[in-house]
Amino acid sequence: MSDLPSPHTSNVNENSANIQSGHNVLVRQPNGDVRSIKIDRDSTVAVGRLGSFYANDLIGQPYGFSYEMVNKHLNILPVRTLEEVEDTDATNELINDGKFVQPLTLEEIQTLKQSGVHASEIIKRQIEQHANYSLKTEYSKDKYKKRKEAKYSKSFTTIEPTIYNVCDYWFNKDQSRIRDIRPDTLSQILTMANIQPGGRYIAVDDASGLVVAAILERLGGSGMLLTICDTDSPPAYPVISNMNFPSDMVQTVLKSLNWANSEQEYVSVVHAPLDVPTDEIRSDRQKNRLRKRKVAFDALETTRDLLFGGEFEALVVASQYEPSGIIDRLVPYLSGSASIVVHSPHSQPLVDLQNKLRNTPGYLGPSLTEGWLRQYQVLPGRTHPTMNTSGSGGYILHVIKVYVLHPCSSQIQHLI
Amino acid sequence: MWSKAREINAGDTVILWLTREALQPLTIEPGKEFNSKFGSYRHSDLVGIPYGSKIGSRTGKGFIHVLRPTPELWTMALPHRTQILYLADIAFVTSHLNIKNGSRVIEAGTGSGSFSHSVMRTIGSSGHLWSYEFHETRANKARQEFLQHGLSDRVTLSHRNVCKDGFTVTDTADALFLDLPAPWDAIEHAKKSLRKDQISRICCFSPCMEQVLRTVSALNEAGFTDITMFETLLRPYDIQQTTPLPTVADVSHKLKQSEIRREEKRQKQIASGHRGGNLNTVNGTHGSVSLGEKRKRTTASEGEDEDMLVEEPSGEKRAKTEEGDNTMAVEGSQVSLNLQDVPMDSTDATSLMKAEDMEQTPDEEKNSKEEKSLQPAKINLSKVMPEVRGHTSYLTFACLLPTLPAGVAVDVTQEV
Repeated sequence: MSDLPSPHTSNVNENSANIQSGHNVLVRQPNGDVRSIKIDRDSTVAVGRLGSFYANDLIGQPYGFSYEMVNKHLNILPVRTLEEVEDTDATNELINDGKFVQPLTLEEIQTLKQSGVHASEIIKRQIEQHANYSLKTEYSKDKYKKRKEAKYSKSFTTIEPTIYNVCDYWFNKDQSRIRDIRPDTLSQILTMANIQPGGRYIAVDDASGLVVAAILERLGGSGMLLTICDTDSPPAYPVISNMNFPSDMVQTVLKSLNWANSEQEYVSVVHAPLDVPTDEIRSDRQKNRLRKRKVAFDALETTRDLLFGGEFEALVVASQYEPSGIIDRLVPYLSGSASIVVHSPHSQPLVDLQNKLRNTPGYLGPSLTEGWLRQYQVLPGRTHPTMNTSGSGGYILHVIKVYVLHPCSSQIQHLI
Repeated sequence: MWSKAREINAGDTVILWLTREALQPLTIEPGKEFNSKFGSYRHSDLVGIPYGSKIGSRTGKGFIHVLRPTPELWTMALPHRTQILYLADIAFVTSHLNIKNGSRVIEAGTGSGSFSHSVMRTIGSSGHLWSYEFHETRANKARQEFLQHGLSDRVTLSHRNVCKDGFTVTDTADALFLDLPAPWDAIEHAKKSLRKDQISRICCFSPCMEQVLRTVSALNEAGFTDITMFETLLRPYDIQQTTPLPTVADVSHKLKQSEIRREEKRQKQIASGHRGGNLNTVNGTHGSVSLGEKRKRTTASEGEDEDMLVEEPSGEKRAKTEEGDNTMAVEGSQVSLNLQDVPMDSTDATSLMKAEDMEQTPDEEKNSKEEKSLQPAKINLSKVMPEVRGHTSYLTFACLLPTLPAGVAVDVTQEV
């Protein structure tokens, strides 16, 4: 991977969990939007239209802090706790919509902004001139201040790239690219598939690599993940780049085949030219080329053998393709008692699959579930579920692979 | 953690899947027998067969599946099945707390060990769990279980009241989970035990909103940030296979046939000169018709739909009545009787099809058979199970940011 931490980072902060040069860092803007920024040593990084800063200021910093951009440098902001808002007798009885309440014009605000006045100063002036501010309830005042801060503050907060946060970021950015897999749904997939360090798993991921990234994180560099893809070379899995994995954590664990070369009958067409007799090799260049092809061919054959060797501990599917065909192809390579977990944004394909599997020997206890998640606003005196929420994170089918009759001959007399 | 071998060995813990509702853990001790209403099995017969095998009883009656334990199966097999209820919570907490390979985790209390097993699976052999239980018997039971499951090196279990006495480690844990009646009493202790060199996280699991509010205050006072709260559930689906839903085209076809037969019968009656003499309707006035209908309406316990269906044919008859016919009342009620036979529940659609087939002339039968062969023989329907868990607990999360790194300017002028 190209995201290798630079060797120069050693003089800043040794903690590998901190932000390093080459990392893609998720940052939350004051208005709540999250974006991904690339931190490269000695570069200037722009945070949308908020402003920009010198990347070196962020390198070596732990995740989770808020910074304000001042003259391209970062000032770390004090940690904010929930403010207790004291209730008063104010109501909106005397406040009418549409009335002119703010004499400070847009132009005047623009001028203030350009003159480099701090966001808090602009907000202070707006409040001073606001006709009805004193009539507002304390809750409403608090909301007003927060809204104005979101508008004028040139600050951002770094978000640690945990799989939860990365999934949340993608879900809010473009949920269709991750096939509607919400953080809770992803966590259920990992749990139902019994993913653990050192395990061997097969994944079919058409969800931009979200499932692959999640399994890689849980494996933590130990075990094996074999993905089957629909492209002739291993796919990019864009979500992985948000995780900032050390390269060895991916390379030692992740192997890929495609739907053609994962067939047992598949015969590579590149096989023949590899067997060129040594006396026919004319140049070093040809020799080199042949050697490279041989390496690639051998690597592919090794990966194929891994698949055909079987005994994988789980199969995880989040695919655009018809699920029953995927399972038919890959279930022979699973060990007995292995979990099969299939996700779909739609219920119908899984309803049909569940009905098929429960009538097919070799599958035990198929169940179809849908995750439900509700987030709450927790503010002192103002705790309630958020008004807008996600409707669905998709559906999950879970089933256990079993042997119809176990093959041990000494037991046959006890079998039906 | 539990055997990873392909075949079952003496001493292994296995999960016996008797039915979806009846799971049971079993330690393989050759010489012993497992007897249940699902048959009789010698432990020694299970040794050497692959995990995931379906085994027939020695008597030839009944069978069981022998599965490799997972934290989820283990929980389902415990006497107080909490698995389905808490899988969503356990998965979500694990993901939100970023528990993965190598994580150092604290939990209080241990309880039935459901979360403990799941966490120990996820952290692997390089991670560690400190588990605290204030109930001595439960602590001993859990300790014994962890030992039996080969987990002793991953867990340190203490019989201890953490609200009073705190935790046994400081500046250590990546993540901390509190499932206690009064988590707010443990927050300050929790803060001490969490690591301070990078983000660490806490989750408090409480069923009541009042607990959440106190917990949020305590977290806030202790300097935790990013306080969020969630509820998560699994919605299980029930899947049925059934014949295609009956169509209104079928109903209207049937009604037309019935009308034709009635007309034929009337014509026959006219031709044979045997005019029916029902005194109530012999005058054939509108008044008597609507009286009859009213009577019907008050006695019929069925809904509006049926009334409408009854009215339509009788309405048509009304015109004919003026021509001097009076068989209407009798015929009308026949139609309504037929309609009552039509099952309104889609799952009983077979009976409608059968009833219809019998009434059809050979010609029509041919036509409708051709139509039917175009339709799928069966369809799959899904709906959420009628009884689902509506609430488990509120999950309150918060972060503890690391101690500020040296050399970073802190801007304190920001507060409005």
